[in-house]
Amino acid sequence: MAEQAPPTLIPDDEVFLRMNRAERLQHVLLIVTFTTLILTGLPLIFYDLGLFKSVFAYGRAFYIRGLLHRAAAVVLILDIVWHVVYTATTGRGRDNFREMIPRLKDFRDALQVFGYNVGLAGFLHRRGVGKRFFARHPFWLFATEPEYGRYNFIEKLEYWSLIWGSVVMILSGFFMWQVELSLRLFPLWLHNIFIIVHGYEAMLAFLAVIIWHMYNVHLNPEVFPMSKVWLNGKITGHELRTLHALEYRKILAARRREPGE
Amino acid sequence: MKRSAFPAPLALALGLGIGLAMAAASGAAAVGTSAASDEDCLTCHGDPDLEKADGTSLYFDQEKAKGTSHEQAGLSCVDCHTDLKAVADFPHAEKLRPVVCAACHEDVYKDIKASVHDGLEKNEIRVGCQDCHGAHDVRPADDLESSVSPLNLPATCEKCHAERVKTPRGGEFIRQYETSVHFRGLKESGLTLSANCSHCHGVHDVVPTEDPASRVARANIIRTCGRCHVGIEKSYREGVHGKAYVKGSGDVPVCTDCHSEHDIRSPEDLGSRVYATKVAAVCVRCHDDERLGRLYGFLTSRLKTFFSSYHGTASKFGETRVANCASCHGFHDIRVSSDPKSSINPANLPETCGTCHAGAGANFAKGKIHEAPAEMSGNRGAQVVKVFYIALIAVLISAFLLFIAADLFRKVRVQWLNKRRRP
Repeated sequence: MAEQAPPTLIPDDEVFLRMNRAERLQHVLLIVTFTTLILTGLPLIFYDLGLFKSVFAYGRAFYIRGLLHRAAAVVLILDIVWHVVYTATTGRGRDNFREMIPRLKDFRDALQVFGYNVGLAGFLHRRGVGKRFFARHPFWLFATEPEYGRYNFIEKLEYWSLIWGSVVMILSGFFMWQVELSLRLFPLWLHNIFIIVHGYEAMLAFLAVIIWHMYNVHLNPEVFPMSKVWLNGKITGHELRTLHALEYRKILAARRREPGE
Repeated sequence: MKRSAFPAPLALALGLGIGLAMAAASGAAAVGTSAASDEDCLTCHGDPDLEKADGTSLYFDQEKAKGTSHEQAGLSCVDCHTDLKAVADFPHAEKLRPVVCAACHEDVYKDIKASVHDGLEKNEIRVGCQDCHGAHDVRPADDLESSVSPLNLPATCEKCHAERVKTPRGGEFIRQYETSVHFRGLKESGLTLSANCSHCHGVHDVVPTEDPASRVARANIIRTCGRCHVGIEKSYREGVHGKAYVKGSGDVPVCTDCHSEHDIRSPEDLGSRVYATKVAAVCVRCHDDERLGRLYGFLTSRLKTFFSSYHGTASKFGETRVANCASCHGFHDIRVSSDPKSSINPANLPETCGTCHAGAGANFAKGKIHEAPAEMSGNRGAQVVKVFYIALIAVLISAFLLFIAADLFRKVRVQWLNKRRRP
């Protein structure tokens, strides 16, 4: 073991488990319910769109749409309950949650990767602009890409957006479903706000998933056409080293402490 | 046949009604010398093969004549074909004088004279009695075989009005009656009370609908429909539309404005203009009209604000169980919300909403159902939430797109640099 150079402690082709079966199933349930909710909910916002009219304006289709919407909502709620229980009761769940907590570093990372990608600071520095400023604050040079832990700021943003969105949608949706109960508790103007919130939050979630999530897991040239983590849950040592460097070094350090493994 | 039952009054009527020549002829009849008897006529006209040169049948079918009004009144051929009374040599001349029904039916004649059917308009159209009543088979309206019996009248009028005679709005408009609930009642249920042509347009006194004296003219239509729909007329007169109508307003809707004219259908009929999912389109013809809104002080943008509510959206997709205009506002006796009797008066809203939403309480009245965007300030909370979300969506989506653009920019640049380094 002694002759092995440190990098080989984690070979590039070693396979790590990024999402276990429970986590993958939670994600699949989320995909199915989210898609159903969007498809059965959007017609209420874009009621003049010919596409929706040609699908939902016949017979009981509109009524069935409502049933599907509420059924998907119930499944989504169960999925979330499962996720919460899983997170609270399993060691892996608790560990994931700790890694998911947003930190100041995430905001720095977001700024840094944006600055790094644009490359304007480096460009100015090479031309001798702001030499003293950059000497004192090298961070603003954005000279390197940030190193991420198990979850980068993109994944954290998506996760916490989902939590926030779910709370808002479930609460407002519940009272829209149980309108009689809602109006026993709240005045009509407040109920009207629930409806507005439900619609706009849905638009926000839809756009965020279509633009942000789809780019990061599908269209991004690094993973195009699709990151397969959600299917096989696997990530290689190479991917770990390049995409989640801090996590990689954590594992490396652990293996150095216990070389026997 | 009691053929001499009416000689004197007949002679009198004819003498008054027609002229000197006629009087001479009837004089001869009164003397009762040699007028042809019905048997004389039937000698020739009882032959089914008797025809004019052009093929028109000259056959008089006695069976068909049984039970007709004139058979029962005991009239003989020459009572109507009066110019044959004085004729002794048969066969008679081919051309006879037209039969003049007015000789007996004087009162009807006055109505006809004033009606559109007597060429009131441009002297072009002249409808004879026999065009509606038939010639030899005239029967009273309550005889089911009569051409003017309620069951047969629509077909009788359509003989001309469906195609041949152009009315201002065309035959298609006339034929719409055949899809109406009135015609269905008549045809399928045999309801002779169900409105046919004459119920609305009159009998002998039919005048053009543009004529203010017409029964379907704006000033009279409520009364005309109300003859059968008594309760609805009463209800209409109590509502805001009816009250303005009585004052002579030309803006408020009358029956036909919402229910259409010939094509009146049951509200449960998908083709009805007041069908649950279609009634909104009828109401907003006036209620989205800015001019009328300013004039009468009501809110416009009713359709838009209705459709963007769940009731309206669902209704747009054909869902009939959600509220439409009439569900909350009522229909014939629609009242302004300030009226304590109005179904949308805040005090009555719990009851109105409660017809669908069981257990609806006072909270149903604390807010607006469909308010115009301009007065959104009425719900400042909603306004704030909307602005917040629009800003949030704009900022977040812009940030996402910026990050994606920066990421792609970097990747394209790296690829390009690599290519330059290793050609």
